[in-house]
Amino acid sequence: MENEMQLLNISEYNFEQCLKCSICTVYCPVSGVNPLYPGPKQAGPDGERYRLKDPKFFNEQLKMCLNCKRCEVACPSGVNVGDIIQKARMKYASHKPKLRDQMLANTDLVGSMATIVAPVANFFTSLGVSKEILHSVMKIDKHRTFPAYASQKFETWFKRNAQSKQDKYAKHVSFFHGCYVNYNFPQLGKDLVKIMNACGYGVHLLENEKCCGTALIANGLYDQARSQGESNMSSMRSAISKGRTIVTTSSTCTFTMRDEYHHLLDVDNHDVRDHITLATRFLWQLIDEGKLKLAFRPDFKMRVAYHTACHMERMGWVVYSTQLLRMIPGLELTMLESMCCGISGTYGFKAENYETSQKIGAPLFAAIDALKPDCVSTDCETCKWQIEMSTSVKVLNPISIIADALDVEKTIELNKNH
Amino acid sequence: MKFDTVIMGGGLSGLTCGIALAKAGQRVALVSAGQSSLHFASGSFDLMGYDAQGAPVSNPPEAIKALPEQHPYKKVGDIAALAEQAQQLLLEAGIGTTGTATANHNRLTPLGAFKPTWLTTEGYVTIDGDKLPWTKVALMNIIGYLDFPTKFIADGLRNAGADVEIKPITLPELNEARKSPTEMRATNIAKVLGNQEVVTRLAAEINAKAGDAQVVLLPAVLGIKDDKLAQLLKQQITKPLHFVATIPPSVPGTRMQALLRKRFEALGGMFLNGDKVVAGTIAGDKLHNVTTEKLEGTKLVADNFVMATGSFMSRGLVSDYKKVYEPILGVDVDYIAERPQWTQNDVFDAQPYMEFGVRTDNQLRVAKDGTTLANVYAVGQILSGNNKLKLCNGEGLDMLTALAVANTIKK
Repeated sequence: MENEMQLLNISEYNFEQCLKCSICTVYCPVSGVNPLYPGPKQAGPDGERYRLKDPKFFNEQLKMCLNCKRCEVACPSGVNVGDIIQKARMKYASHKPKLRDQMLANTDLVGSMATIVAPVANFFTSLGVSKEILHSVMKIDKHRTFPAYASQKFETWFKRNAQSKQDKYAKHVSFFHGCYVNYNFPQLGKDLVKIMNACGYGVHLLENEKCCGTALIANGLYDQARSQGESNMSSMRSAISKGRTIVTTSSTCTFTMRDEYHHLLDVDNHDVRDHITLATRFLWQLIDEGKLKLAFRPDFKMRVAYHTACHMERMGWVVYSTQLLRMIPGLELTMLESMCCGISGTYGFKAENYETSQKIGAPLFAAIDALKPDCVSTDCETCKWQIEMSTSVKVLNPISIIADALDVEKTIELNKNH
Repeated sequence: MKFDTVIMGGGLSGLTCGIALAKAGQRVALVSAGQSSLHFASGSFDLMGYDAQGAPVSNPPEAIKALPEQHPYKKVGDIAALAEQAQQLLLEAGIGTTGTATANHNRLTPLGAFKPTWLTTEGYVTIDGDKLPWTKVALMNIIGYLDFPTKFIADGLRNAGADVEIKPITLPELNEARKSPTEMRATNIAKVLGNQEVVTRLAAEINAKAGDAQVVLLPAVLGIKDDKLAQLLKQQITKPLHFVATIPPSVPGTRMQALLRKRFEALGGMFLNGDKVVAGTIAGDKLHNVTTEKLEGTKLVADNFVMATGSFMSRGLVSDYKKVYEPILGVDVDYIAERPQWTQNDVFDAQPYMEFGVRTDNQLRVAKDGTTLANVYAVGQILSGNNKLKLCNGEGLDMLTALAVANTIKK
């Protein structure tokens, strides 16, 4: 009593707050389909008690954690179960990243090379024989459809076609496009520029954008993740000093830079964090404050099912994307039950995880196939790959749907006075 | 964001209130900080199992009349009418129950005791009085399942007049699941048994082991999303089948949480999962808005607010060395100032801290610094003046106070 110990938070990640209630185990997507994974309670706070005494209690099976953070969302006591597990992997794992892991993790490097030879790369990765080679040599699962590489990077398109027009706007944002927009799907970046410009905002690239590092963390390349994180923070500070918010279109990049940098990598982001936001949230807040109006095409019709990506759930921002979509008059929105699709970035690409990955996603795929919407919408690009590969439905980021539905001329007109 | 009502807390009381208001056409947001204590649910709903002297209660509305005036049940109005409204709300959410407010029945606890209760999820073991209607029972014991003390349960059934045989059962899938012994829990087993083909083989395994028993009892390890698989199993088993509640995490509780949330959202309610209210702006005697941890700057503005944040375990109440307090708005709390008096030495005695909670007026409105907040209500376990362990009334208190407040707000 004298020391009033109870008032002190004596551990990282609220570890000592765990009541052993086991609710996290109910919501773990992995432990229900793969008994080799010890589950979030055992891998997290329970195992940590032992690891603190002796690192030999570290279990290599912790690599089966998806880092989906659904355990943290479920925890009634605010324990960062997923962080405890990831940090234990960082501290104790003896297993070193393989060439395969390096390739999957270096989305930047591989993306840069692949976009140069996109038709060849796409042709190669789509061939049955290449898939067999990737499967047997690299342990990249042959059932996977590789996301196609674009022949022109988003940054190249932007510099050639859009950059020079951005300074004429009165207000400005910086866009962290992420690897997916840059190498695989520049259209999403173009959609964002279209919306922001219509709303009277100029869009700018960061001085030197690097991959957010989420795949590096997942594949054990922590030092590289940290140095890319430091670099991104420095580029963002420069944008913030010009009064620009950093908008994004990927929930995982956003989550990584806002939360994982600080929680896992010890990258200091305290002065940057609040300036990084999803584009849907940025738009919704402006509309809520009465500073922005959007006009939509009267002939736009779409039945959309929204899928809650794990990191979107963890950020608690689903409401912004869905409220924004609900503003489109011709759009009928159905919420899919929130659950993991199973891909978890690079996890599902690995041959040893393929079966687990598809079992995790099976109930979601069944729900989508039963509903038969015109499209599924989600804020995560790897969920898009997984759902498009595993169902017959195409997947669009909310920003692409808004860009499609937007009446550009009318929106420009509506916002002239702001 | 503007709503008619914002509810803090996503457990039984918060969802009950939210469903009742959304059904009445209100725009409701519900902020849920982590999963709720529904995950410890027995599958039954207690209204009032024992009186203040510890004697079993048979007619709760009658027994409630003898409670002290400051007890929250005394602020809700017609107990029997609200209880009927609660049972109907559960049914509309897909949770079928048997029982009635004016005549308790007995439920079988996970440790083999029989306790008086109000409603029980359809398909679970119940008895009227203290004698089982069966003389020969086959109690299925899943090999490797940790949270089912079969010996205690068998003893309880024997004391109630039945001849019990414990039958070990397994399936290849369950054997495989044992590779992770820590995950051999009711909810995980429910996932392993989560498709029709496996349930069909489970039925064959049970039929082969049931022997000459009149009835088969199975731990509640089926139906984490809905009761379709439980129905399928019943059809395929040659004898009557009843479920026995297990040690948490609870399958019927997890299912109730999912079904109530689904119902709330289907009625247009907005469920903010995994977020928590951190502060509020009070102007005069009214709460104007609240802010949450995740939505940061976005204010949730509403005409009315409901605190359904639970007791100590759910962090609706917090204690330290000197005081007990409500952490969001710092509203007035009833508790004993002298800390040594918070507890009794014998753990089975009525513990004074169980009755600590927020102070409310006769409409269940909270107060801050002695002034009643005109548009802030409290429901469920955060309320002061109740010992749910001694009175066995947790679910009843959650639902009836929630419905009473919803009725007040609707006016």
